Amino acid sequence: MTQTEPERTVRPDALQRPFTPGDPGNDPELETYPETVHGPVPLELSDRRTAEFVEEWRNASYNCYSSGHKFCREVCPVMQVTRNESWTPTAFHANVVAMEKGELEVADIAADYVNCTQCGACELRCPNTLFTGDFYRFRTRTVDVVKAVRALAVESGVHQPNWRTWNARTDDRTHEPVLGETEISQENVRNWAEGLDIPIGGETVLFVDCEAAFYRTAVPRAVAQILQRAGYEFGLMGEQWCCGGPAAEMGYVDQARRFARHNLDNWRATGTKRVLVLDPHDYISFTEDYPKYFGAEFDIEVVLVVEVLADLLAQGKLTPTVPVNRTITYHDPCRLNKRKGIWEEPRQVLRSIPGLTFHDVDRVTQWSYCSGGGGGLPVEKPELTAAISERRLGHAAELGVDTLVSACPWSERPLSEAGDKRDIDVIDIHEIVAESLGIEVGGSRGAVGDRRCGGCAK
Amino acid sequence: MSYRYSDEHAPPAPQRASEVAVTTHEHVFEVDPRLMERWVLQQTFPNWDTLRIMHARHDHLDWMHAHFAQKTITGSDLIAEIENEA
Amino acid sequence: MWGLREVTALERPPTDLIDRVVERLAGVLRPDQILTAKTDRYNRARVPAPFPVHRWRERVPDLAVLPESTEEVAAVVAIANELKCPVVPRDGGTGLTDGAVPLRGGIVVDVKRMNQIHELDLENRTVTVGTGINMLKLNEVLGKHGLIYPDDPASYPCSLVGGRIGTSGWSLIGARYGHTRDLVLSFDLVLPTGEILHVGDGIGRQISKSSSGYQLKHLFMGHQGTLGIATKATLKLYPKPEAELSPFWAFDDYDAAYRFTGALARAGVATFAGAVLFDEWKVAYLRRDDEAYIPQPADVRALTCAVLYGWEDEVRVGGKRLFRIAKEHGARYLGDEISEGDWAARHDRYATPLHGRTKSGQVVPMSWHCEDAAVNYTRVPAVTKAWHEIVADLRRKTDVFDDWGMFAYTSADTGVDYLTEIDVGIWEQRLDDDAWAMWVRAKRDIAAAALAHGGSISACHGSCREGEVDLVPRELGRGFDVMLGVKRMLDPNNIMNPGKYLLDLAYQGGDLAARLAELRGEA
Ligand SMILES: Cc1cc2nc3c(=O)[nH]c(=O)nc-3n(C[C@H](O)[C@H](O)[C@H](O)COP(=O)(O)OP(=O)(O)OC[C@H]3O[C@@H](n4cnc5c(N)ncnc54)[C@H](O)[C@@H]3O)c2cc1C
Ligand code: SF4
Repeated sequence: MTQTEPERTVRPDALQRPFTPGDPGNDPELETYPETVHGPVPLELSDRRTAEFVEEWRNASYNCYSSGHKFCREVCPVMQVTRNESWTPTAFHANVVAMEKGELEVADIAADYVNCTQCGACELRCPNTLFTGDFYRFRTRTVDVVKAVRALAVESGVHQPNWRTWNARTDDRTHEPVLGETEISQENVRNWAEGLDIPIGGETVLFVDCEAAFYRTAVPRAVAQILQRAGYEFGLMGEQWCCGGPAAEMGYVDQARRFARHNLDNWRATGTKRVLVLDPHDYISFTEDYPKYFGAEFDIEVVLVVEVLADLLAQGKLTPTVPVNRTITYHDPCRLNKRKGIWEEPRQVLRSIPGLTFHDVDRVTQWSYCSGGGGGLPVEKPELTAAISERRLGHAAELGVDTLVSACPWSERPLSEAGDKRDIDVIDIHEIVAESLGIEVGGSRGAVGDRRCGGCAK
Repeated sequence: MSYRYSDEHAPPAPQRASEVAVTTHEHVFEVDPRLMERWVLQQTFPNWDTLRIMHARHDHLDWMHAHFAQKTITGSDLIAEIENEA
Repeated sequence: MWGLREVTALERPPTDLIDRVVERLAGVLRPDQILTAKTDRYNRARVPAPFPVHRWRERVPDLAVLPESTEEVAAVVAIANELKCPVVPRDGGTGLTDGAVPLRGGIVVDVKRMNQIHELDLENRTVTVGTGINMLKLNEVLGKHGLIYPDDPASYPCSLVGGRIGTSGWSLIGARYGHTRDLVLSFDLVLPTGEILHVGDGIGRQISKSSSGYQLKHLFMGHQGTLGIATKATLKLYPKPEAELSPFWAFDDYDAAYRFTGALARAGVATFAGAVLFDEWKVAYLRRDDEAYIPQPADVRALTCAVLYGWEDEVRVGGKRLFRIAKEHGARYLGDEISEGDWAARHDRYATPLHGRTKSGQVVPMSWHCEDAAVNYTRVPAVTKAWHEIVADLRRKTDVFDDWGMFAYTSADTGVDYLTEIDVGIWEQRLDDDAWAMWVRAKRDIAAAALAHGGSISACHGSCREGEVDLVPRELGRGFDVMLGVKRMLDPNNIMNPGKYLLDLAYQGGDLAARLAELRGEA
């Protein structure tokens, strides 16, 4: 028996044999069957914004809805601490389909979409990305859908109270209000660089995110001094504004675009061709949001500092010699590991540091790790951020480490707070490299600080 | 190592791999784009994303092997042993 | 005649009852454990199996609760029983027979928060867990102790222990380690009245074999949440395998691959964990988008894979035996890379919507529907042929359906029976009432073909979806009457997942015998 010769119960036809659709050599009879199903009558949505939104996102969301298998669930950081199925990627897509069918409205769903750090674990882990995304050039877009729903909510006047205030203050001060009640001002954006003698403008500029520029100032100080040590030329931006990414993440799209426009124009004004980025969130803004806003007009080269460091170390332009006697593990920042696939270089950098005992956890296991610090979550639901960070430190503690090294300033504040309870320091990869190069970094390591770094200022 | 818009949006020229598929980057197969013209349209896909997914897939599959067993034994190894014994 | 069951108008609890339920629940749960918002309800109305989207609202529950302990579950169920409000147990929500889908509104009891590891007993090799835990997550922890809980469905990263109990699931490597029913030693179960029962062989939590009294464990597994809610389970653990071998072989035709698969399963190799037969439709389908099969020569038309787990020395010896059998059968080894890559993807691959095609080849997003049956080895080819013909008939009428080929997987270590599965792509965006009716008829035909060949309607998912469920009284014979009796006794008010498995018959007046005879086609 072979399958190509089935029992002839009905008139033999092209559908009785296996075939691969789309093969030009297929039986022409395949084109001749009638279509007898009409399909459901499409619904006219009365709200114009919702109708446009649904038109844009229905296929992206349907790609999940039609699967619904939830391979994404256990990697989702919010899900891990809440175990509430309403706050899963699956639900975020299903709601869009429900809107298309007139079952739900934006006001019904907006608050659920707060519960996402935009870490990208779900969309990477999703088989529709991991197994076939590259093949079809069509992958799961949960992060984009979450951003789009948040934007639709804002446009429709459905605001989350803390996000609204946060973005209004950002708009007012051109930087995020990362110092709480203390207002931030444009004049202070370069204060972190005091005494480092960095020029303004030039072909390459270092862009420093709001958290690092105003709160964890040890990070940019470390970066700048390492680059100076290696003889790498760079300047600071003429007038740096927030990259606009957080506003885009929280749904304040017009504001995000305005900020982006300002920054691009400012780079042009100083003849800048290359932007060095130390913060993974900025890296996403510049390599994903800006290209969407500006298309081919966006001709700026974007370079991640950690990758530059790995390169400088490999070329022998930097050689860490001061032993750092710590037992560490590395936290893969979500926006590097999951969203960009950058995980090797930070490990190369850490392996070059003498004195370290490094208990590494592989990048795939870390798809389900997160600090909870992204996507505006700490602004609206700080208790969830804290719970996510606590879980992350729990994993670190199992390894018996005294230090968790991250490469993302936004993760370091909540992680430090969770680490404080377990006597685990949370430090930035650039800080530890600088230390091993014998650099007195200076600056602040946040409110919790770094216990094992004797000379470090808080 | 760095991002440039113009580089990202110029994928390698496709080579035919079968009647319904092509290859582009090394180790990457893609659907023959003529099959995605009607019901589902392809998304804008910068090169970094294609490569990120392909690498992540390989890493994930390696991870799954290690998750279920400490090592994998290859068939070619066993075939060689059988031939030696014969 | 067992005709199409007409879609009955939705019976829902009245709103004042729901108000009372919510009020009473507030006495036993925190506010964040009681969910009544629209999104909370809409997102607990679905499972992956396709269903017409325009009928979504029929299945929306009235509320959901997120209990955190056996006692909380018991308190919720007791209130529901007292007020006669339907309860639907929900865990991972990956079940493919609509078990976790509410058919009468009511309360969804979502047990995902009960995902703790309560006790790991390294000496007796057991672990006691909350039923909301996932196997992959559990094994990440067990791996540190060199142990594994080998319940490995293709939904391994997303289905949860409670749902595995509720469906009495099937595992890819069950031929070596057994299936869920063998791996779950015992569990706590909240009965439909709110009482707590410990289910297992003997009284101990950790007994694997007793012969004392009735053996209740099987009864309380695979009931699709109609007999209660499992809350805490004790599982059997194995050493994490030292070695894995997963060879894939190609054949010119189905027949040769079929004979070879049987020979592998009958070989009696102790580390043999399973074999999978890919038929010619499956291989043609894989050529659409699978990087392993796109470049294969045209004469690769059917495949067999096998997988072995154990200590390296055992796996080598067993593996060589299988390779010798392969040689006798003219099997062509597909190489290490494909063999390893493809097997690693089996734990979680499956449905991606863009596998879907119109007959002329355009890509369309389709839901995956896996129709499964348990069939003896000698009947697999006949069932395979019959099922493809059923799907071909759907495709003659419309592009809403697509044939994604068939697998036959060994269920047992002797090769007696196979999980036989046809994967059907369904374009849910275009699923109107007519197309749905076509599908329900096809499902019934698929189930009937399995029964005609002496099989069971389902080896893994269960059989309570529209279409197939009408045939259950035929399959079980008098056993179905026993099911009705048990249901009536344990769930006097029919609150536990009502509407499933035709169990409403247990509560209806009239001539039950006549109704059953009709369903069995004996009238
Ligand atoms: C991609 C994919 C592959 C799959 N592969 C397989 C496979 O290889 N083998 C296999 O067996 N299945 C497979 N399935 C089906 C599904 O994963 C299984 O049926 C699984 O056991 C369901 O578990 P769940 O946690 O998702 O349960 P749910 O879907 O939530 O529930 C399943 C049933 O159990 C009941 N239930 C849930 N929790 C409890 C509880 N605590 N106590 C009592 N009853 C409860 C529910 O009411 C429902 O009737 C697959 C599904 C998908 C999406
Ligand atoms: S996001 Fe992907 S993995 Fe998650 S349910 Fe949707 S399709 Fe499945």
